[in-house]
Order: sequence, then structure tokens, then C-alpha cells
Amino acid sequence: MSSAASTLPASALPAVRRRRQTALQRRIMIERIALVAIILVYMIPVVWLVATAYKPPKDMFSSPPSFVFTPTLHNFQRVFEVFDVWSLLKSSIIISLGSAALSLLLGVPAGYALARSQSRYAIWVAYFFLAIRTVPIIATLIPFYLMMRDIGLLGTWWAVILINTTLNCAFVTWMMFSYFRSLPRDMEEAALTDGCTQWGAFIRVALPTVVPGIIASTLFCVMFSWNDFLVAMFLTNLDSKPLSVALLAAFGTKDITWGTLGALAHFSTVPIMLMALFMNRYFVQGLTKGVH
Amino acid sequence: MTSLASGSVSIPQRRRSGLGFRDRRRFFLIALAVPAVAYIVLIALYPLVQGIWYSFFDYRLLKNGGRMTFIGLDNYVQLFTDNTGRRAIINTFVFTIGAVFFEFVLGLGLALLLWRDGRFNRICLAFLLIPVTITPLVVGLIFRALLAVDYGYIGYYLAEWGITSPRGLFAGTATALPTLIFIDIWEWTPLVALILLAGLKSLPGDILEAALADGATSWQRFKLVILPLLLPTVFLALVLRMMDAFRVFDSIFVTTGGGPADATTSLMVYGVKQGLQFFNIGYASAISNVTILCIGLMAAAFTLMIRRADVKANEQ
Repeated sequence: MSSAASTLPASALPAVRRRRQTALQRRIMIERIALVAIILVYMIPVVWLVATAYKPPKDMFSSPPSFVFTPTLHNFQRVFEVFDVWSLLKSSIIISLGSAALSLLLGVPAGYALARSQSRYAIWVAYFFLAIRTVPIIATLIPFYLMMRDIGLLGTWWAVILINTTLNCAFVTWMMFSYFRSLPRDMEEAALTDGCTQWGAFIRVALPTVVPGIIASTLFCVMFSWNDFLVAMFLTNLDSKPLSVALLAAFGTKDITWGTLGALAHFSTVPIMLMALFMNRYFVQGLTKGVH
Repeated sequence: MTSLASGSVSIPQRRRSGLGFRDRRRFFLIALAVPAVAYIVLIALYPLVQGIWYSFFDYRLLKNGGRMTFIGLDNYVQLFTDNTGRRAIINTFVFTIGAVFFEFVLGLGLALLLWRDGRFNRICLAFLLIPVTITPLVVGLIFRALLAVDYGYIGYYLAEWGITSPRGLFAGTATALPTLIFIDIWEWTPLVALILLAGLKSLPGDILEAALADGATSWQRFKLVILPLLLPTVFLALVLRMMDAFRVFDSIFVTTGGGPADATTSLMVYGVKQGLQFFNIGYASAISNVTILCIGLMAAAFTLMIRRADVKANEQ
């Protein structure tokens, strides 16, 4: 944009230049106002979710809805009475970190191998991973449910971790494939010719160059598993269920209100939101490179 | 490039084992890829194949003692003949096309707004990630509360001012699906914008400047220069969103549960209901196979279009 002004002779047309610049400034102002308006549309439901946790029950269902209320921690008390929040949190953390770790362990080497392979079949294997990522979970969930029932893992964290890892591992493999592919292979080849071992070339030379990709992969794996509820709903039991399943139950019972949902969201939704806000660079990379 | 690289590698000829360098390299790479491939084949592909097998049987866990009876294509025929099945297919297509269309149009607008580089836009970008990170489950619950007619901040006034029926948007057979489409648009437009923005930022700067120097208006520049170059990214964004929208489940499950009167039952909702509530495994497998087939066909069609657009963009 600024190059438009600079292509004109600097001294020749000062008036035209000035007019163009004010027009540009006005346009930027309008664009910014539009952006702020759009962000407001996105923040209102989020602010509602957070604010509703501090609303006293009598204001919760007042009709017409009340905008002003005295904040209370009552809902948090209720949440801790009804749910074993720490146990739910523990399940969520174990499931998402477990799946992320397993997915990275499998996916990063596979992505590297596919990117560095000279075989013309490598790209098709990569597409295979991408295709697996797009399969609706219900298609695998029913046979997987029967499989877990037969080997006795139903109701354990393992069942959820194992099935989440299929989608996550496919995602990580594809994402790391595109990361490694976009990097030159000269350094590894130089290391190999200097007598570095194959493992050394992979771990000490190639891996450090894709750290942003690994961070982005981890964030997405954690987010996918943390947010999933369909799989967890059917594969876990009372002791192993994560926060997402409890969220659904939070309004299923009669004496539980939107307030408890909001309070519970402080543990389930807000952490992921903050993670995205502060690590937004990696999230954008993941969204645009890794094919969500 | 590749021939040069492999040439430089094969120079040292360190033969520790009986294998040449390139063979050892190849075995190493295969060994790295095998665990992931084996895992996916065992835990994802094997159940998928099992699902195809089940779909030809009358297989209900809660009936006939869970015995399997071969019934050929009857499960598929049932999906296309029973009312809920047909409704589910139509709903899924209406939902996908409606949601993806608006997400694309609005997302493109948003991407163009964000195109200008600067601190302000980067901060905006971070905020727009929020809807992407909130699980559809919670998004559904939020809108369910906001749109409630008696206490919701939006629903109450919509009903009070006579814009919607007094029973609310989710209760009407004509309004429930559009409302769900709206929720999907709310949640995923930023994602489309982010993908398109990445495409915009990778456009060659010299072509854009040349168009500007030629005195093209903004609209001409957009229509004749930017859009054709952006087409591969556009198709990528469309295919990603289509595949996701086609599997819509969470937001429907927590707001309407598929009702009223099947007005919002999607293929996934129907499949989950049949499979994991009624344990009608055979029928549910047929439903999910049809879903996979539709997604596969759409993905293939779009991949072809991406290829063609890529070729065209390179010609220019």
C-alpha cells in the first residue's frame, strides 16, 4: 500500500500525495472499526460464559434477563459439591497429555521419514494419513467400542488415549511432513557425510529446526483431546470421565444451572482459550500448515 | 535438485554393514514410518474395514442376543427409504452447503480486512482464535442459553419483539436448522479467514504492485489479480470446512438433539443415535459408510479443482 505513494515522484505532486495519504488513513480507520465490531460479536458469548459463573441463581433465570447482578462464588461452591472437579481435571490432563505424547512419538518420525523419502509412494502414504484425519469418528468408534469391550479396556483412560491418538497421530504426521518438506535437507546430508549416524542426523540436526512445528502439533493434540466429548462419553466410566463429559452432565441434572456450567467452563474452556491467546503464533501456524 | 542431493550423499561410500549408504538410509526411514503406519492400520483402518463388514448384517447388541444375520444391502436401502434417514441426508447437505457458503464469503471479507500487516491486526488475529478453540459442545451450550426465550439475552428480545415465534428458534421446524447453520458460521468463519489470510500473505508482491501501478481499481485488482491467484487456497479452505461441516454432531447434539421432528437430524447424529444409543451396529455402520463416501467424493472433486486452479495460477 505504501509503495503506491512511493512510486510517484516525491516532490512533484505533494497535494496528490497528501490527499492519497489521508484517504488511506481514513480507510485504515474504517477497517479497524469493522474489525473491533467483529471481535465484539465474538467476545459477547465468551464474556457471557465467564460472567454467568458469578451470577446468583435467582438472576440466572430471571425473565426478562437481568444485566446487573451482585457477583457471587455460589456456583463454584455448587460445582465442587456436585462434581469431583480435581478428578475430572486429572482425567482431562492424563487423556490429552497421554494422547499428545503418543501422537508425537509416532507422528514426528513418520513425518520426517515421509518428507525425506525418495520413494514416489511417500506422498501417497502422507495422503493416507490426511484421509484418516477426515474420517468421521463414529465410523471407527463403534467397532473400536466393541474391540475395547473385548480386551477389557472399556472405561479406562487407555481406551480414550488410543482412539484419540489415531486422529492426532494422523494430524501430527501430516503436519510434520509439511514442516520437514519445507526445510532444506543439506544440513542433514552434510552431517551424514561427516560420519553422523542416521539417528544423530534426525535427532540432533533435523529435529531442532522444526521446534515450532512440534510446539504447534502439541498444542493441537492437547486441544483436540481436551475438547472431545463424544469419544470420552462412550469410552469412560464415572471414575475416568474427563471435564468435557461433565460439562454435558452439568445441565442434564435438574438442580444444576447455567451458573455451574459457567463455573465448570473456568476449568475446561478458559485454559485452552488462554493457551490459544498467548501462543497464537503457533496456533496460526498449525491451522494454516497442518490442515485442521 | 534431488539428483544433485542424492549424488552428493553417495560420495563417501562408508560400507560398515554389507549395505550401501542409500539402502541404509532407506531402511532407517522405513523404520521411522512403520510404527505410525502400523498404529493407524490397527486402530483406525481395521475398525473401518470392520464397519464395512458389519454394514451388511442385521447386528444389534440388544436384540437376538447380539447375533449377526447377513442381510446384504438392506441397511443401505433402509437409510434411503426411512423418513429419518432421508431427512438426515437432506439436512446434512443443506447444513454443509449453507454453512460453508457463508463462512467463505464472510471469511474472505475478514481475511481482506486483516491483510494489512501491523500490530493492531496481529492482536485482532489472536482474538479471532478464541472461537476456534472453544469446543463445539460449549459453543452449542452457550447459544442454547443465549437464545432461550425466557432468560436468554438474545432469545428473550427476539421473541419479545415478535421477530421469532414465542417458543424460540430451536423449537420451530423451519428455524432450527438455520439457527444451527448460524452457530456454525459464528464458530468457523475465523478459521476460514485465517486460512485465506495465509494464502493472501503468500501472494507474490510484485504482481500486486504491478496491478496497482497500472491504475487498476481495488475491485479490478481483487477480481482479476488476487482472486485467480488465491483460488488454490480458496478450494483448500472450502474442502476443509466441507469435510468438517458434513460430520456435524456436537452442536446439534447439545441444542436440539436432532429435533424438532428430525428437522435437525444430521447423518452423524442419526448414526450415533442408532449405534451408541440403540446399539444397532449394522445400520449405524451403513450410515457412517455413506457419510465417509460422501466426504470422500467431495474431497476428490475439490482436490481436482485445486490441481486445475494450481496449474492455471502457474500459467499466469
